[in-house]
Amino acid sequence: MKWKKLAALAVSVSLCIGAFAGCGGNQAAKDAGGKTLTIGDTTFNSSNEEPDVNPHNAYAGWACIRYGIGETLIKYSDNMEIQPWLATKWENVDPLTWKITLRDDVTYSSGRKLDAASVKQCLEHLVAENKRAKQDLKLASIEANGQELIIKTTEPKPALLNHLGDPYACIIDVEAGFDNGIVAGTGPYIVTDMKPDDHLTLKKNEHYWGGTPKLDKLTIRTITDGNTLANALQSGEVQAAYGMAYESYPLFRNDKYTISQISTSRCFFGKMNFNPDSVCADPAVRKAISMGIDKENFVATLLEGNGFPANGVFPAGAVFGGDKVKAEKYDPEGAKAVLEQAGWVDTDGDGIREKNGRKLVVKWLTYPSRQELPLLAESAQSTLKAIGIEVDVNNTADHNQLLKDPKNWDVYAMANVQAPTGDPEYWFTVFAVSSATKNQGKYQNARLDALETQLSREFDPAKRAELALQMQQVVLDDHAFVFCSFLKMSMIAKANVKNYTSHACDYYQVTADLDVE
Amino acid sequence: MSDITIRVQAVRRDHLQRKLLVFGVLAGLLIVAAFFSSSLCPYDPYEQNLAIAKAAPSAEHWLGTDRYGRDMFSRVIAGSYTSIFSTLLLVGFISVFGSLVGILCAWSGRWIDTMVMRVSDMFLAFPGLVFALAVAAVLGGGVQNAIVALAAISWPKYARLARSQTLAQQERPYMQAAKMAGCGTLRMIRRHLVPNIAGPILVTAMLDIGTMMMELAGLSFLGLGAKPPIPEWGSMMSDTRNLLATQPWVTLAPGFAIFFSVMIFNLLGDTVRDWLDPKNRR
Repeated sequence: MKWKKLAALAVSVSLCIGAFAGCGGNQAAKDAGGKTLTIGDTTFNSSNEEPDVNPHNAYAGWACIRYGIGETLIKYSDNMEIQPWLATKWENVDPLTWKITLRDDVTYSSGRKLDAASVKQCLEHLVAENKRAKQDLKLASIEANGQELIIKTTEPKPALLNHLGDPYACIIDVEAGFDNGIVAGTGPYIVTDMKPDDHLTLKKNEHYWGGTPKLDKLTIRTITDGNTLANALQSGEVQAAYGMAYESYPLFRNDKYTISQISTSRCFFGKMNFNPDSVCADPAVRKAISMGIDKENFVATLLEGNGFPANGVFPAGAVFGGDKVKAEKYDPEGAKAVLEQAGWVDTDGDGIREKNGRKLVVKWLTYPSRQELPLLAESAQSTLKAIGIEVDVNNTADHNQLLKDPKNWDVYAMANVQAPTGDPEYWFTVFAVSSATKNQGKYQNARLDALETQLSREFDPAKRAELALQMQQVVLDDHAFVFCSFLKMSMIAKANVKNYTSHACDYYQVTADLDVE
Repeated sequence: MSDITIRVQAVRRDHLQRKLLVFGVLAGLLIVAAFFSSSLCPYDPYEQNLAIAKAAPSAEHWLGTDRYGRDMFSRVIAGSYTSIFSTLLLVGFISVFGSLVGILCAWSGRWIDTMVMRVSDMFLAFPGLVFALAVAAVLGGGVQNAIVALAAISWPKYARLARSQTLAQQERPYMQAAKMAGCGTLRMIRRHLVPNIAGPILVTAMLDIGTMMMELAGLSFLGLGAKPPIPEWGSMMSDTRNLLATQPWVTLAPGFAIFFSVMIFNLLGDTVRDWLDPKNRR
């Protein structure tokens, strides 16, 4: 029996040694790998139209710029004013011509020098591949001469520079290719490995023009579930997080973590479906929905104060935003009267109104990667039920596919940065005008289209703001959208992570200064 | 020796009777509470009141309130209706349907038996919950679809059991006697076969209640069961898991409801099995 005990002891000891040896190995690997940081992110995924880091692909440019891979010709200050970045200066030669001078000390991560010819290649590829960019930029021709770029547009484009600061305009070396969505940019970090919807691994760009990045290795982990992300940050599996549910913030309001917050134009809003089969084709239903959502309480309680109730398209800080436009206020009794007048009456006593035998059921499509969108859905479900509207919530990561068929939804609730380029035109051309790239609800208003034509040619910022206000009012009077809240952009990190700071544009995150102490 | 055995059996039997009574009463109470849940709720389980969101348990709200200010005690009671009756409906359906299929196969034999049993083999070859997930994903969310998904994978177990029991009973002298006495097929099945194979099927069904309750809650937890705002224990846990670290009562209340219900039905199933075990008979 004695030898059995000895054998068991030997096995136990060897297992323990093995385990400790494993730990030591990990530590050694960490030391050998230099400074590393892992960021958990709920938004870097294909359901968010960010399947990779190729800026020319849908909204993947946000990942490209967010994780320090690519940079644009201009960048935005904290007040969303245009500043030089890869471009040193620019000049509006005439309404159709822009002369842009590029930095002379920049190389792509592929080793190629940044010059006007490579930028021309990149922009031409961009408009060929990205419908939104083609519509925004209206490029007629590009002339490359050393470090000088001459861009001609087919029509006056006052917001051209703003558009060139959009993440889709990250300057990349097209000749280096698009290997499974991996590109060569000019940023402080270079992609070494990527598995869509799982992770992105980056190493520092030793030849970065803006100084040597502080981290040797950076990993972005896609974690779409907010609870998992909170657990990962607590356990140390990730050291920083973006997209955390506000409900989890109390766990991180202590000395061990830092929370960086800034007000942005990211908005939770619902777009209405104008398809004749949708209940939202009825103006009274749209108006009642706009009057039936309790934005104040949603922000105060469900967003835990991490936002502001929305009035129009843009937040209060912008000259073209806030309460300069008139929107419906939360008014359940008023909403009931609107529905009554339109003939929506509860005839069978079940609390839901009917008209011509059709129940007033609103199909509310939304998605979970923005953690509070499902909460907005359930809050609206309750307040709209009180006025006789049943809300059938479909909260799914498959929302982009379902959105294509107008039979699948009546209201599509989403999160969007309304003015990512500091200019109001972006939102209207993407969501509201009849030719908008994301106007799946087929909303049309001839006056809005005419105002957009004016806006697209107006160079005077004051007049642009005035036009943007008029356009918002058209959208609000049609109740084509219901704007619920603006959010504070928030990033949480362990206390030893430095310079992980939120920016008003929402997409500047990883910089050369990001560090771990 | 035989006296001692009889005495031991008698003690066991009495003990079993007490257990059966206790667990039967507890299960009965659960079912009655679920049936009258709408009358038992102190507050409207659907009514939101954001002013009292995430309130801790108190004399007013015994289990606190959720993020929408809904009373958790009321929602757990209301959830019992969805969770318990969905489970009973599911187990009732799969046990009856599966048994009928099994009896049909054993009775008719030949190609029907071969064909249906191969189909049931196919269903049994899939990992249960994964197959249910696939079916529920195709059908879409909702309690009804979750029940259909679980029913689709769970009936073969009963078909197999009923078939083997039927085949064994068919050869028994009393069945032969009934046949020789001119008993018709339906009458033989109804009067002679079913009462003799009902025991094992009933025990399996009783033991299945807990499992099915867990699986339904699992599907709901994954978003393929009850849709908001319907209170269902699994979906309530899933919806509130972000709050587990900060307001744990919101998640724990439906969690304990599942735990106690599954435990009561499992213990009842075990006791019924022991009760019907011939070794414990006097």
